[in-house]
Amino acid sequence: MISIELLTAILFACIIVSFALGAPVGLALGGIAMGIGYMTWGDALFNVIPTTLESTHFSFILLAIPLYIYMGQLLTRSGIGDAMFNASQMLIGRVRGSLAISVIVVCSMIGAMVGIIGAGIMTSGSIALRPMLERGYDKRLALGVIMAGGGLGILIPPSIPMIMFASSTQNSVGRMFIGALIPALITVVLLIAYVVISCKLNPKRAPMDVVPEVQPTPKEKFLTARDGLLSLLLIVAVLGSIIMGIATPTESGAIGVVGAIVLAIFFKRFKPRMVQKAGMQAALLVSVAMWIIVGASVFSNFHLLMGVQNMVAGFTQDLGLPPIMVIMLFQLIMLLLGFIIDEFIIVLMCAPIFTPIAVSLGYDPIWFGILMILNIEIAVQTPPYGFALFYLKGIAPPNITMLDIYKSITPFVLLKLFVLIIVMMFPELVTWLPNQLMDG
Amino acid sequence: MIMIMTAIRRYCLGVHALVAFIGNSVSYLMPVLAFVVAFEVFSRYILDSPTIWAYDTSLFIFGYIAALGGAYAQQQRAHINVDILYNKVSARTKSIFNLFSFALAMFFMVIVCKMSIGKFEEALEFNYRRQSEWAPHMHHYWLMMAVASVLLILQLSSDWIDALHQAITGKPLIEKPLENESEEEGIAP
Amino acid sequence: NAADYNWRFANLYSRGSAFGAVYEDLAKNIETMSDGRIKVQVLYDGEGVGSSGIFGAVKTGLITMGATFQSLNAGELPAGLVEIGLPGGTSDVGELTTLFQEKGWAPILKEAYGAQGLVWLDPYIQPAVYVITKKPINSIEDFQGLKIRAPGAYGKFLRNLGASPVSLAWSEIYTSLSTGVIDGSIGSNMIDHRDGNHVEVAKYMYPLPLAGAQVLPIIVNKSAWNKLPTDLKAIVKAATTVHAQEQMTKSRLWESEAIADMEAKGLQWSPEPSAADKAAWKAAGAKLWDEYAAADKYSKELIDVLRKEQK
Ligand code: NA
Ligand code: NA
Repeated sequence: MISIELLTAILFACIIVSFALGAPVGLALGGIAMGIGYMTWGDALFNVIPTTLESTHFSFILLAIPLYIYMGQLLTRSGIGDAMFNASQMLIGRVRGSLAISVIVVCSMIGAMVGIIGAGIMTSGSIALRPMLERGYDKRLALGVIMAGGGLGILIPPSIPMIMFASSTQNSVGRMFIGALIPALITVVLLIAYVVISCKLNPKRAPMDVVPEVQPTPKEKFLTARDGLLSLLLIVAVLGSIIMGIATPTESGAIGVVGAIVLAIFFKRFKPRMVQKAGMQAALLVSVAMWIIVGASVFSNFHLLMGVQNMVAGFTQDLGLPPIMVIMLFQLIMLLLGFIIDEFIIVLMCAPIFTPIAVSLGYDPIWFGILMILNIEIAVQTPPYGFALFYLKGIAPPNITMLDIYKSITPFVLLKLFVLIIVMMFPELVTWLPNQLMDG
Repeated sequence: MIMIMTAIRRYCLGVHALVAFIGNSVSYLMPVLAFVVAFEVFSRYILDSPTIWAYDTSLFIFGYIAALGGAYAQQQRAHINVDILYNKVSARTKSIFNLFSFALAMFFMVIVCKMSIGKFEEALEFNYRRQSEWAPHMHHYWLMMAVASVLLILQLSSDWIDALHQAITGKPLIEKPLENESEEEGIAP
Repeated sequence: NAADYNWRFANLYSRGSAFGAVYEDLAKNIETMSDGRIKVQVLYDGEGVGSSGIFGAVKTGLITMGATFQSLNAGELPAGLVEIGLPGGTSDVGELTTLFQEKGWAPILKEAYGAQGLVWLDPYIQPAVYVITKKPINSIEDFQGLKIRAPGAYGKFLRNLGASPVSLAWSEIYTSLSTGVIDGSIGSNMIDHRDGNHVEVAKYMYPLPLAGAQVLPIIVNKSAWNKLPTDLKAIVKAATTVHAQEQMTKSRLWESEAIADMEAKGLQWSPEPSAADKAAWKAAGAKLWDEYAAADKYSKELIDVLRKEQK
């Protein structure tokens, strides 16, 4: 039988070749897994397809993806999303890069609604990418902001990967959620600081709004403020429906859809055609995202059935390294795993293998869990292979290439790596707040 | 020869029309999906009586949208690819790359189709249902999966023929069909 | 020295969990008892197949052996719901053993699983199912209108008591209890409640179990099984018997540990139910018998045995 190391190398090589030739990512991954699988396992492996299809299409957690994408499309197509940003421009338009800053704030709010990466990035992208590009923002800045902001979906509670981590390592979800708040705040502040500084240094990246010849009348100003406030109200309503216990984070996407339609009617922008067009675009995006998830899951399920997890587990045993080196090695492994598997499987696979080792070395498990979340955020957006990259490509206009996306993320990945390192160096950033707020 | 070419061209145009029709129809499921989930929230929170059908119904609709939209996404070239090298090469080299990519994708979809038909027959034989209290039938899902795979295979085969034609003659088989609305609205920064 | 048979054994617990270790022991036992002729690779939740895919994966032979939870494949094999133990059923181990081995459940189940290309090996017992709620249940009327996350059979049972069962993904239970989308949730056992951190957001456990004990099977793909020589078949069977014993002793210990952990975090028990409440509880379970017997012929055969018992 083929060794798992050799198999991994072969699979890796096939990915590189098919990606280089520009093959559709999801279908190619499925094809590679079936081809290599047939040669190493036989046609019995084909049976991995039905179970994988069922577990992807019947996942209530992934249902957030279509609902939030549809909400995002309705908001853009009805102009409600624009209203929000117009109002913010009126408020802080004199700051260079102000729109990108508003986008980061909106992304944080979306992060507080959704618990998975896909929904975070595709919603933020639907609403906020177009306004930035239309105002002449540097496309790399615009893409990077969406990618970095959308990734906050798993760092700002509620977060599905955190719930999975807490359950598989028997830790408190509440502590994870609260422990993530300071790292999340640091990330948001650093993102904003980066936007401000980089726009100062290179003003072309974020053109100032042209001062209109005629100053807006008080009435126009009032209307802009009112529209902005109303659209903000939608976000507050969706968040409220989660906090008040009306809907789960997944279901709240549907509240957002209804809310967007109600607002469109209020703004007199409601047309059945708009709803249908938004539906068309959303359905296309959902299908694209889901075929990637299906193909990638078929691929990783094959790899897991062949025992890649045992390779990782075996590798991490008896390392004989100093404790902090072990932690750093774990981070490296997870970043590499981000090359082939999604956020949920990284947690399922690594949390139980790594956490007991980290705890036995004297580290706090909640701290280690937050490191894992910060790491996953980076892993899914580092080239060449990352779900966040593909989601962003899906949502971006056709003239944005994958290379644009790869190039756009560099400063933001470095920034998130920086957050990861300071959280690694100062565990109190995670442990202090839960200790203050929760006894024992 | 000309007759064969005409037949092939007709085939490709026919596939194009069929896939576009299904793709458009699927979009009407989006508002239905949102409505079903919103209704469950309404029924549970306002009427205090959670439904037993909304959970599975929403998942079925989700699966239908996700699977059936695949062929249309291929037609629109909306499936994500890593286009770094791809964008640098000539149209003719691109079509040679496509011959490989689309064949790989078709290979995968043929297996998906075969397995889905198998599951459909099994679902009929053993009366498979969802494990919930409502316990709706599973057979239609597998039938839909088989149809979705066939549509994707048809679209891929049509695109493969087109790529072959371009690789040999340097020209596309069919003059580029009208770009769809989604693209004409794309933003050019 | 390569093994003669390479098996993949999937279970529904996550890597590193206490139950996972018991399945790891079963795999090791098969390997040692067969003197290395069978090699067993253990796969945990999500490692190639999800927990609800185990049944289908063993059926097709993608996985050779599986430890599944019948509620997750109730749509494929409804009789599994009766096998696991209908709400209100007995928790007495002796009674359960007699029911399976002497009163005729084992042959019915062998046939039911056999019809789907599966070999049904001796089942094992896991601890009881309890419901946790945000508010104390002082009498059984308090269930009226409560929204409780409870799938399948347990949902029907709670509906008979006037509650409203809700369907939710497992990973949304915590958030939903915390915000109040639901008022309570069942867990597949006390350990599940503890691991899901439910006590952080709901404090009250109802003292009556929804099922006193859960009987779960080990299933093997029939064609892989038929390839084994007789002596190896006997060895695999013997290993599952040892495994059943280990499940019994360890799960009792873990259950009490889980309860102690949760009590340390503030878990409280709802007041002891009255005799009338207990009767109503039992009646709610018995009401389900007809409904389940109607589901398919194997369910009916199993329930007929129970009925004969009652007379
Ligand atoms: Na979140
Ligand atoms: Na990556």
